[in-house]
Amino acid sequence: MAAELVVATTDLAMIQAQQAGMKAIGAGLAVGLTGIGTGIAEMGIGAAAVGAIAEDKDFFGLGLLFTVIPETIVIFGLVVGLLLLFL
Amino acid sequence: MGVNISAPYIYVCTRMRMRKAKLLPREEYQRMLNMSVSEITRIIGETEYKQEIDELGTIFKGIDLIEVALSWNLAKEYQKIQEITPGNLKQFTQVYLRRWDIQNVLTILRGKMQGEKPGKIKEILIPAGSLDKVILDRMLSEESSDRIIEMLKTHRMYPVLAREYPAAKESGSFSHMENELYKHLYANIIAGAKASVKGGASFLAYIQLDIDIKNVKTLFRLREDDLEEDARDMFIPGGSLSLLNFTSLNNIKDLNEFIDMIRANIRNDTLHSLLDELKGNKSSHDIEARLTRVQLEQMEKMSKRNPFSIHPILVYLEKKKYEVFNLRAIARGKESRLPADKIMKYLVI
Repeated sequence: MAAELVVATTDLAMIQAQQAGMKAIGAGLAVGLTGIGTGIAEMGIGAAAVGAIAEDKDFFGLGLLFTVIPETIVIFGLVVGLLLLFL
Repeated sequence: MGVNISAPYIYVCTRMRMRKAKLLPREEYQRMLNMSVSEITRIIGETEYKQEIDELGTIFKGIDLIEVALSWNLAKEYQKIQEITPGNLKQFTQVYLRRWDIQNVLTILRGKMQGEKPGKIKEILIPAGSLDKVILDRMLSEESSDRIIEMLKTHRMYPVLAREYPAAKESGSFSHMENELYKHLYANIIAGAKASVKGGASFLAYIQLDIDIKNVKTLFRLREDDLEEDARDMFIPGGSLSLLNFTSLNNIKDLNEFIDMIRANIRNDTLHSLLDELKGNKSSHDIEARLTRVQLEQMEKMSKRNPFSIHPILVYLEKKKYEVFNLRAIARGKESRLPADKIMKYLVI
């Protein structure tokens, strides 16, 4: 009886550890994949913004603003990651 | 992810769009039509041509200042674009700019033949192709035309020059040689664009449009002038028209039938609407400028269809060329006291 209880407790601990690990992987994926998405989105906008700024310096502010708009994607990923880890 | 949406393509195409947006608008030309040459110089000096006007202001005066400043600016602009274009686009841009080599070499040869001073010839050269200022200066300092041809021994156009020059020199007319040089250039360009290079298809589409418009222009010119020259000599192969179509089109006397035949042979909506306008309208004096406008409009459409390809670059290069042509036409027209509406007909806006 006592031996069975010890086995069950060990199993539970293992399952809990696995769950924590899965959460960490999920959080990592959420931030990592959204980071890649943001990078791809910013590539085009950034290239166009630098092109426009090279021709006309006045575009600096506007170009920067448009370039960072896809940052929202990675921020969502970060929020999801934090929720996974701390809730 | 295809190469067509890589960052350098987006970068350079955006730069071209920005530059295109800075070109002079229609209203500016209309304002210039009511000005004197010195006022036009002042207006041009406040735009993208400021640096050239300031630099050359002490050496040249009046119409010469405008002419030289425009040529210098065009050459500088073309060199700059060659510097900033990446990969295959650079190659295509250089290929496109090779036509300036032909123009420069012919200008030098013609100038030498007429005994013009090297300084005078230099004013109208546009060193935008593969022959840069240094080579052109060396060519200008040569006295004999044969030596000039010898200097081009390593250049692509040398075989045609060597073949055609003796006859051209004897007859005193370079027109046949010019045709042959352009045919050789287009054949080369088409072979290059077809050689399975990425983005080659869009370049080929432009080249075919260019050849089509050139052939149609030649046909209209032949109709207007009633020349007895051999039409086949002026035909450029590689477009929608075949040599057979070209000669049969040239033999059609009736304007409506002629237009219908062009419509049937060349698929191009913008050209079709121009041809419809021309039907029944006997006067076709400004047809060349209108055909050029058709070409630009069609190129604009192509650049919107392929926003990150060679097309936006080519549209800018062409529009810049016509801006310089327009300004030169206005300045020259004003110098010769032509009425504004007459000058307007020569402008490509």
